[in-house]
Amino acid sequence: MSRWQYFLRRVLMSIPVVIFGTTITFALIRLGPLDPVSAILGTQYNPQAAEQIRTNLGLNQPLWSQYLDFMYDLFTFQLGQSWVIAPGTTAYELIEIYAPRTIWLGFWSVVIALFVGIPLGFYAGLNPNTPSDYAASFGGIVWRAMPNFWLAIMLVTALSQLGSWTNGLFTWQTWIVRTNVVTPPALGFFQSPVEQFLADPGGWIESFVRATKQIAPAALVLGSASMGNEMRIGRTAVLETINSNYVETARAKGVTGRSLVWKHIFRNALIPLVPIITGEAFLLLGGSVFVETVFAINGLGWLFFNAAINGDLPLIGTLMFIFILILVGTNILQDFLYTIIDPRVGYDG
Amino acid sequence: MSTTTETEIPLRQRVAENPQPALIWAAVGAVLVGVELGAILQVVGAVAGVVVNLLPGDPGASAVQSLQAAFDAIPTLVSRDVIPNQGYWNGTSYQNTFLGLSPAVAWAIRVVFVYAYAFAVLAWAWNGYNRFRRHYRRVDWTPRDDVVNRFRNHSWGKFGLIIVITFVVMAVFAPALGPTTMERNILQPYDYEVSYWSEDTQSVETVLVGEANIGSGSQGAGDENVAPLTYDDFGRFHPFGTATNGKDLFTQVVFGARISLTIAVVAMGIAGLIGLGLAMITAYYKGLADLATVLVSDSIQALPVIMVLILMLVIFQNTWVRELYDGAVLIILIFSIVYWPFIWRSIRGPALQVSEEDWIDAAKSFGQTPTQVMRKHMAPYVFSYMLIYASLSLGGIIISVAGLSYLGLGITAPTPEWGRLIANGQQYVASPSWHISLLPGLLITLVVTGLNAFGDGIRDAIDPQADTGDEAAATGGGA
Repeated sequence: MSRWQYFLRRVLMSIPVVIFGTTITFALIRLGPLDPVSAILGTQYNPQAAEQIRTNLGLNQPLWSQYLDFMYDLFTFQLGQSWVIAPGTTAYELIEIYAPRTIWLGFWSVVIALFVGIPLGFYAGLNPNTPSDYAASFGGIVWRAMPNFWLAIMLVTALSQLGSWTNGLFTWQTWIVRTNVVTPPALGFFQSPVEQFLADPGGWIESFVRATKQIAPAALVLGSASMGNEMRIGRTAVLETINSNYVETARAKGVTGRSLVWKHIFRNALIPLVPIITGEAFLLLGGSVFVETVFAINGLGWLFFNAAINGDLPLIGTLMFIFILILVGTNILQDFLYTIIDPRVGYDG
Repeated sequence: MSTTTETEIPLRQRVAENPQPALIWAAVGAVLVGVELGAILQVVGAVAGVVVNLLPGDPGASAVQSLQAAFDAIPTLVSRDVIPNQGYWNGTSYQNTFLGLSPAVAWAIRVVFVYAYAFAVLAWAWNGYNRFRRHYRRVDWTPRDDVVNRFRNHSWGKFGLIIVITFVVMAVFAPALGPTTMERNILQPYDYEVSYWSEDTQSVETVLVGEANIGSGSQGAGDENVAPLTYDDFGRFHPFGTATNGKDLFTQVVFGARISLTIAVVAMGIAGLIGLGLAMITAYYKGLADLATVLVSDSIQALPVIMVLILMLVIFQNTWVRELYDGAVLIILIFSIVYWPFIWRSIRGPALQVSEEDWIDAAKSFGQTPTQVMRKHMAPYVFSYMLIYASLSLGGIIISVAGLSYLGLGITAPTPEWGRLIANGQQYVASPSWHISLLPGLLITLVVTGLNAFGDGIRDAIDPQADTGDEAAATGGGA
């Protein structure tokens, strides 16, 4: 089977998964004990408004027709609107407002985790059973075991108190550019980046640095679990490749140290890291609820959490569908990356 | 058992032939159980009470209540009554405390005593296994010996085991470990009084516990703070300080350990049963059964775990299930539903492998029913793989529960929960009342590290080549 056939098959297999996952969401929202209409109206319940919403949401129709409507709307990307937290606003507008912050957060948490976790893991693997290996490994394990929401609270406190702890020598708020510790990042500079950059390069770079600094602590927390995982796997992978026969052979035929590490060890050690990196999508989506709550970043996780506690069930259904698409998409991407990086992976699975 | 041979002697007879090691062991066991008989019976009584409550019409409720009262009256060794710490200073000496020591020292002695007793019980159980191995086991060697030996040489796993034991003992002996009781300090503070030495009047005065709590809250400012290992104004000792509302933090932490452990173990147990059962069915019948389970589990796995938990907790918020054990029962059910696909996935491979073995064919051709084949010849082989995965996932569940409680969705008051304690002290982290958020968080980190280390140890002991440790499982979906 060729690479593209395999890829196509993988995509086709994910369709029933998306349908089934969305069906579960439908079952929870429409068949669960919480009535969507009374959840939307809350304390302001009155029969007329209830009837109005019932008609609007199509809740008067038989269940199978509700189900078909629900599925049809989502799969044709008619995502509906919010009913409670921003009544009347379409889901598209909400996502357009909230998603960029979460994407920015997710991007940096992947980058920070990658650029700290993998080098540390490889370093530990190349110097096994030394004090620095033990320190790095143990640190990674403890770092991974910390609950994100608690770590976030502690980091917020530490950053806010840095000024008083160092007697004003170093304050996070005034470092490089002036920012608050707990704040949503200002992402206005992304709107039309090229024109803005050409018009005012200095100002554009400053707002880029500011937005990065604003998101950095949250990204560090959100990436903590993945960072620990990447370190562990990286260490094991290096240890395994370093003791393998082909590295032995390369060393015997006189390959120099640097080339040995980069060409023979590094590339092969990357393979087991792929599922860890793509698996981060799960951690990022789930963790964003907590990290965004603590750091007051109003992104998608925050939107979902607020929609949930305020009973905005139609919006939740839409968001859930989007999350499912993201996660299934990441899984497909993971398999695709596998086939590119490791030609030995069979296409039959 | 079909494996019985003519030369085999039943265990009972083997013990009768050489009774001394077994008798010594049984005698020590009788002493250890005997001193705690009251506590064991109290647990039995409590379980009976819960069962009666669940049955319609509450049959025999009064009988159970009188039984509980009788059990409560039996004195036990590891209890608050033997080493009391809730006394007061009458100007010259401590009253009502153990040997007239200060409440802090009395409490510390009781904690040491509880752990000494727990480790004595564990040592006794371990000794029993060794005695069985040395004196009574029919064979000199079994594969399980290798597993045990591998774990004994795994120092990282043993480190984890010690932390896990400490945590479990904390949960089991929660009532005896706290410097005060749940009932008195947290649930019904206005039904109890506390005596204390008043500096102003130079005499012993009494005050309601609830009022004393109001006067000893930790809310940041210097005089409104009861730090760890200090006394409050009412002569009460607080090993972890007090929470913002003046209730003792350590008492809440030990009872929080209880609920975290219960949820993690029961949820994993149910998810494991579902996963194991389905793995047997899919490996035995393959084909359509396997395909359908793949589809369902893939779909559940494609849902973001934390989001589903939040959604389900919101949807079930006003139902009777939500009220049971302050939400713990609902959380257990949700976790079982969300986690079984992960378990099933992790043991599907080994289960398919074992279903291809010759001995399965042999069993079938002997006319054994499918259930028998699954239970006797397939499940034991797969079980250890499930154990590996489950032990690596426990930490993740503990973190998730704490995270949900932090958001205000998980365990509700009055049952203490670590995540809620963290939320409670969140705004005081930078103040002198830093202990409210910091200590429960450190404990979660420690317990999860220990559980992961223990899981690593189990994995390396059961199967050094095992590749079942899903790294994402140990992180609680990002909470």
